[in-house]
Amino acid sequence: MQVFTRDTFFELEEDESLLEGLERTGHHVEYQCRSGYCGACRVKLKVGSVVYPKPPLAFLKRDEILPCCCRPAEPIVINVPLKSKL
Amino acid sequence: MKMKYSTFSQTDNNQMREPMFLGQPVNVARYDQQKYPIFEKLIEKQLSFFWRPEEVDVSQDRIDFRNLPDHEKHIFLSNLKYQTLLDSIQGRSPNVAFLPLVSIPELETWIETWSFSETIHSRSYTHIIRNIVNDPAVVFDDIVRNRHIIERAGDISNYYDELIQYGNLYNQFGEGTHQLGGRSVTIERFELKKKLYMCMMSVNVLEAIRFYVSFACSFAFAERRLMEGNAKIIRLIARDEALHLTGTQHILNIMQEGVDDPEMAEVAQACHEQCIELFRHAAEQEKQWAEYLFKDGSMIGLNYSILSQYVEYITNLRMNAVGLEPIFPKSTQNPIPWINAWLVSDNVQVAPQEVEVSSYLVGQIDSEVSVEDLGEFEL
Repeated sequence: MQVFTRDTFFELEEDESLLEGLERTGHHVEYQCRSGYCGACRVKLKVGSVVYPKPPLAFLKRDEILPCCCRPAEPIVINVPLKSKL
Repeated sequence: MKMKYSTFSQTDNNQMREPMFLGQPVNVARYDQQKYPIFEKLIEKQLSFFWRPEEVDVSQDRIDFRNLPDHEKHIFLSNLKYQTLLDSIQGRSPNVAFLPLVSIPELETWIETWSFSETIHSRSYTHIIRNIVNDPAVVFDDIVRNRHIIERAGDISNYYDELIQYGNLYNQFGEGTHQLGGRSVTIERFELKKKLYMCMMSVNVLEAIRFYVSFACSFAFAERRLMEGNAKIIRLIARDEALHLTGTQHILNIMQEGVDDPEMAEVAQACHEQCIELFRHAAEQEKQWAEYLFKDGSMIGLNYSILSQYVEYITNLRMNAVGLEPIFPKSTQNPIPWINAWLVSDNVQVAPQEVEVSSYLVGQIDSEVSVEDLGEFEL
């Protein structure tokens, strides 16, 4: 599945979470629990949609997603910068 | 019409139509129907996190502590005192302040579950302190004598105290202007809601920022393989706190949306500036605290400047989560990214029957039996 970010894009692999994919590709993304309950990794979803195999406990606004536990249902655009571009 | 608090209101009501707070007090504690299922989910998660301080061996910490240089002993003990203060407040205040105002059972039980878990934190500080010093009183007594700690205590407990006192008057005398002890006191429902909202926001600040400053210190020792028993306990505490924080973020966002109680959305708007100031003040106070911690010297990996940057960074993050514009635009990067590895819930412990795997719940058994499952049985 393709993921477009603020500065680049990458292919999300089958066996990695969106959070892991963002980390692998050098993005700046916060995390804490990595289990959907703390909400620290929340990012804004600009285009596309995601699904949650298990509904997360963290509070999410309508345009926010949790990279630690969501699965993109289609190619997505999210507002996350590369570490090198901060 | 105002509804007097009763431990079991006998008025038949539809709990699904009550607002979170200041509707009819909860009567039947029922969870078959829930206005906000998220609170029930938080309760379940919190219960699955259950742990006891005695499970963690802190005997090596005693040796580590003895070998710390004096300025690091000061950092470690001051940090523990501060944590003790925070959980002394949190172990009782949500119950005293919010329970008389709550109107739906799943939220009522969440508040009780939340507060109870804070009492475990308090007991774990005693467990740690008992192990590292010969006379725990030296540490505990200083909490109410040390002005650096007391200053913080005031700012944290004031919002609770004001809500509790105003709520008591509202409950006893109702809205209107009353002559009380020779003084004219005006009680308004809108004002009570403001105090409730500000108190909830201040609890959010406590659990979102203040706690994390103290966690950073605890984990900074453990990054050097020192005081690791303590860090193991703090890790369990941090996991609980992340859940509590999610709880207040949900409550605040539900209040702001106004679907639950339209007047609460007005209150949220009216308090907007005050909330920003609350965050700003707490961030400043935490930086001052960092100054006090490192007054006699820094420690490897953490000093006044780094901790201050972390305060700003995390303040931004937390403000964003409750609909407030971040106030430190320059602080966009986490200066201590290593702290996150300590906050991952899956690293807490390995054995599922202990506290680690949150999906592990007692009684979670697959009770479906199909005919095929019995295929190999012979009589």
